[in-house]
Parts: sequence; structure tokens; C-alpha cells
Amino acid sequence: MTKCIHNWAVLLFLGIVTEGIWAQQDVWIQKGSWAVGADLIPVIRLTADTAWADQNMVFRLAEDVGDALTVHNLDSLDHTWFIGSPGADDVAIPSGASVEIELPALAMGSYRLGLSDLSGYRLGGSSMLQVELPDISVDSTALYHWNLSDWSTAEMLSIAAGENPDPEAPYVPDQFTINERTYPATIEDPNALVQLGLGDTCLIAIANHGLMDHVLHFHGFHVQIVSSTHQPERVGWSKDTVPVLKGEAMTVQLVANQPGTYPVHDHNLIAVTNAGFYPGGMLTQIIVSP
Amino acid sequence: MKQFVTSMCLAVACMGTLSAQTMPPQLFSGMQGFTFLPDGTPIPIWGYGWVSDGFITLPAPLLTYEEGEDVQLNFTNPSPESHTIHLHGLDVDQANDGVPGTSFLVTTGGQTTYSFSANYPGTFLYHCHVTTTLHLTMGMYGMVLVTRPDQTLFEGGPAYAEDVPLLFSDLEVATNLDPVGSFPFHDIRPDVFMVNGVSGSQLEAADRIIHYEPGQPVALRLGSMAYSRMELIFPAELNATCFMSDGRPVPSPFSVETLNIYPGERFTVLIEPDANWDGHITCNYWSMVDETLEGSNGLHVRDAALHISETEKMAIKGWPNPAHSHIQWSDGSALSVWDTFGRLVCVTDLQNGILTVDGWEPGTYIARFEDGRTARFVVSE
Repeated sequence: MTKCIHNWAVLLFLGIVTEGIWAQQDVWIQKGSWAVGADLIPVIRLTADTAWADQNMVFRLAEDVGDALTVHNLDSLDHTWFIGSPGADDVAIPSGASVEIELPALAMGSYRLGLSDLSGYRLGGSSMLQVELPDISVDSTALYHWNLSDWSTAEMLSIAAGENPDPEAPYVPDQFTINERTYPATIEDPNALVQLGLGDTCLIAIANHGLMDHVLHFHGFHVQIVSSTHQPERVGWSKDTVPVLKGEAMTVQLVANQPGTYPVHDHNLIAVTNAGFYPGGMLTQIIVSP
Repeated sequence: MKQFVTSMCLAVACMGTLSAQTMPPQLFSGMQGFTFLPDGTPIPIWGYGWVSDGFITLPAPLLTYEEGEDVQLNFTNPSPESHTIHLHGLDVDQANDGVPGTSFLVTTGGQTTYSFSANYPGTFLYHCHVTTTLHLTMGMYGMVLVTRPDQTLFEGGPAYAEDVPLLFSDLEVATNLDPVGSFPFHDIRPDVFMVNGVSGSQLEAADRIIHYEPGQPVALRLGSMAYSRMELIFPAELNATCFMSDGRPVPSPFSVETLNIYPGERFTVLIEPDANWDGHITCNYWSMVDETLEGSNGLHVRDAALHISETEKMAIKGWPNPAHSHIQWSDGSALSVWDTFGRLVCVTDLQNGILTVDGWEPGTYIARFEDGRTARFVVSE
């Protein structure tokens, strides 16, 4: 933590952070598909340009500095934009429209944002806003992000067909993702797979977009909670098993104090499966080189 | 001093199946164990135990170490499937992490030694990490305590009189009855909700009640291997304060009225109940999938000075029952056994509470302990 504070202090002193160089100016809402086994599941993604991407982009902002973001809706359906921070209003984004969104001034940490309408949310248009977190390109503190979610692929097909889920039907999630990928594809994602040298420090921004609470267990390490939208009383706690509540975004700091390869996974063990097969789902690794 | 000894004895009694090991520890796996529901229904379990012929307990034996101890934990796997021991929260190195792929499997007939340093005092867990979704619901988990000789929670932390390990877990009966047919794993929905391997009325047995001496703090070592989210509700008279989570002090200890414990999490909560208090800590089990209340248990806490009836003193229990090769008694050091024809079968001292019945004729037996208590048990083929 000391190192982080030091690095941020240096950046503030140099005026780098307050220039808002990390802010994204535009985002596109697009519909595509997600290959789950032999099935193609309709999904929505938030992309950095008009080209399709199978993962949602993340957003960055300087601390206590508001900004604007233009959202372009390329989908055939209207959507609603939200930011998971107090006082932020939802904004309608009609199909084909481009709407400027105000990003509020926020304290350091991670926040959820994305789409809150039924199809936008449950087909995957959710990501995070990182405020004042260091940039690996200008700071030796590495930054990773994990967008967590749980999915009922049957429900996704139903929603994509224009149906409303039966509120009385039991929720049976069968896919569990980090950055829209399931293990083992998670460890091919440079934002999900944590790779450090011995003694390095990193921050991991985590957001839970699912319908369930998730609880991440770190093998080999304790992490320190740096920020949390739903459990601010836990900031400063050192944990190896970290609940990330439904709708929560948090930031944790990890110090790589021993070499090796260590799993990180949801300890709600139904979530380390892909369509019922173990291992899979919400599972990635930390690799620390000697 | 007398009071302290009394309370320590009571603390040990209330641990139930979480009995302390004799060193050096040698754990064995087993896949032919049973646990019993409050109505007597036997449920198959897999797990760990101290003996090589498959006698296992739910949860697995409590492992206790001192802060700073260099631990050598021996493990032998005589069962028909591969297993491991993952030392959950102890931040062991990759080789000793117990994860297939990044560490190693212990195959049938294999044995190994897990090495690590118990650098931090606190509450930890251990479990098999092979096909974890299945092996945990089958029962392959236990608790690890790392304590300090000066009986403080951590350096500079509060002193306390005794440890009470409380391991929360659950299982789905259909899965345990047919583990091979339990696919798909994402559809496991527990329907038995346990504290230290028992539930419901079983928690009212005398050896499950948490007794305290007024003015002597009791350290509740809380850990969860459940699929559910635990919600513990502490009555105000317990004066409960949370000091630690996941084997580390929390920056600011806080008084506890309601505590959520997610799967794999641990907390250390000190209680200093008011004198003459007799009540329950409510333990609710909430579904992690749809947030419905699935089950509840009550943890009975009472002042040790309150009257303990003769009926409760008789509540000695043995498991598994029916037994095949061994039966583990909840307490007692010597006993005599008769068969149903009134014939004396044996008079013996118990080693770690275990009575060996291997080779006995199948049937019902009556055990009479040295203090006069009796219990009935069955030996099966």
C-alpha cells in the first residue's frame, strides 16, 4: 500500500493524473455472439470502437474529476446506461443514437457501469470504471481487472428472443465468467491472468455484475482491500477469501511475496464449472516468477 | 485455576467431532464413511481420519499448531480415488498447495508430506482440491487452528480462555447417495445444514453446547465450507466482538450482531456472555444462488454454572453407527461392551476415543462407560 500511495503521489505531483489522460471518450454498444460449447449465445458488449470485441472495455478516470462519455448504440434495441455510484441517474440510449453521458467526480476505486435494461444487462453489457488506479504504462504497480458474472444460457436465449424471464422460475446459472471468459480461456486473458515478478505489487479491480454474490479465494496470498462500493468497512482488511457482493465493485492489492503458480477461484464451488463440468468457470491464476 | 480447568474441559467437550490430534499427525483419506441425520438416516460421506482402514469423521479431524511451527503433515490415500489436502488460507507454497495441475495428486495407495510454516495465528481450513465441487460436498474438509502459547489471539491482541471451533457446512443428500450421478455440478443445492457435522436437535446434545465461565472470553473459531452464505445472529447478551478474519487481525475490532460468512471465509469472534445467560446463536443458511433461506440451526450457549441434568450427562454418542471397523465415541476413556444376549464382549481402554470392532459379529451391542453412562451401537458386515 505504501508503494501505491507513493506512486500516486508522484503522479499527482507531476500533474499526470489530473490531466485525465485515461478517460475514454466514446463507447459503442454492440450485439454479437458467445460460443458456449456448440451453442452461439447472443450477447451485448461495450466496445472501444465500431469493431466487435468479445470482451467489454473498461473505463478509467482521474480522481475527483468529472468527464463526459459518448455512448453510441449500434444495437437494434433501446438500452439504458447506469453508473453504480450514489446520485448518478440512468440515461436512455435509443437504438441508433449517440448520447453524451456525464461521468461524475468520484473517489479512488472501482465502480460498475454499463447497461441496466433487461437485455442490455443480462446479455452482458456491463463493465467497470477505474478511478485513480495506476496505469501499468506509467507506473510500476501493475493493474488487472476482473469483471465477474454468472449466466443462465437458457435465460439468455429467451431474453434474446424477446421474452421476459418467468420471475417464479428458479435461477440455474450454468456459466461463470471472468472478463466474459470461462476457465481455461481466462488464463489466456492478460487482464485476468496475473503475472508478476517476486516482490512486485499489483492492484486488481473487481466488479460483480451477476445475479449472485461471489467469493474469490486466493491461493498462496492474502490481498488487502483498497476500495469497496458495498463493504467500505472492509477497506484495509487482509483476506484470502473475498466476498464480492452482487452489484459490488472493489479493488484489492496483492504483493507477490512468493514465487509459483496459484489459482484464484470462486469458493462458491458451483461457479468453478462450465455447464456442470469441473474445473471451469470463475477460475484464473496468479503466476509469480522468481 | 480450578475454574479454568473446568472450562477447558467443557470447551473440549463442546467441540464434538473436532477433536484435537495427537502429534505427529498422519491423516488418511476414506470414501466409505457415514454421517447420521437427526432422524438416524445414514448418509454416505468421504473424508479424512486418523486410521488407515477408512474410518473418517465429518468434519475431518481438527489440526492444531502453534504460531511459528514448521509443520510436516503426513497424508496417505488408501481410497480408490486420488485426493489432496489444500491448506486453505495458510498461504503455503505452490508445491504444498494441494491443487492438481499446479501441485500434485496423491493417487490410490500414495502418500506424501505437506510442509509449511504456521506463520500467522488464526482460523484456517483444509480440504481436498480434487474435483472440489464434488469432494467438498461429500465431506472432505476440516479446520486448522494456529494458536499462541500465551493464549492471545495475536501479538498485542486480546487474551481468551478457550477455543471453540465451529465449522459450518452443508450437503445435498441426493449427491452423497449417488456421487457418480451428481452431474451437473452447477445444480448442487444443499438440503442438510450442519455445524461441526451435525444439525438440528443433534446440536442440543450435552457435548455440543458451548459452556462459558463468566468473565472468561471464549474464542469462537468460525469457518465455512458450506455452499450457502452463513448468517450468524449474536444476542446482545453474548457481548460478541470480531477480532480476526482469514487469519489476520481486522484493523478495527467491531461488535457483532449479525455476521455473514461466505464459503471459505473465517472469523474469530470473542464472546463474553453475561452471567447466568442461556440462549442460542442463530445460524441461517442462505442460498448463494437465489438468496432464499434454506435452513437454520441454533448454537446453544450457556453459563457453565447452570444445572446440567443427568439426562444430558448420558448423551454420549458414537459414530459411525452402524460401525464396520471402528466407532468413535464423543468422550469416555474406558468401557465395557455386552451383546444383546447379555454376554460380556470386552472391557477395554479407549485410544483417542476409538473402539475397534473389526471382526466382531454383526449385531447390536451395549456400551457401558466408566462413569455409568451407556450407549447402544450396531456392528454391520
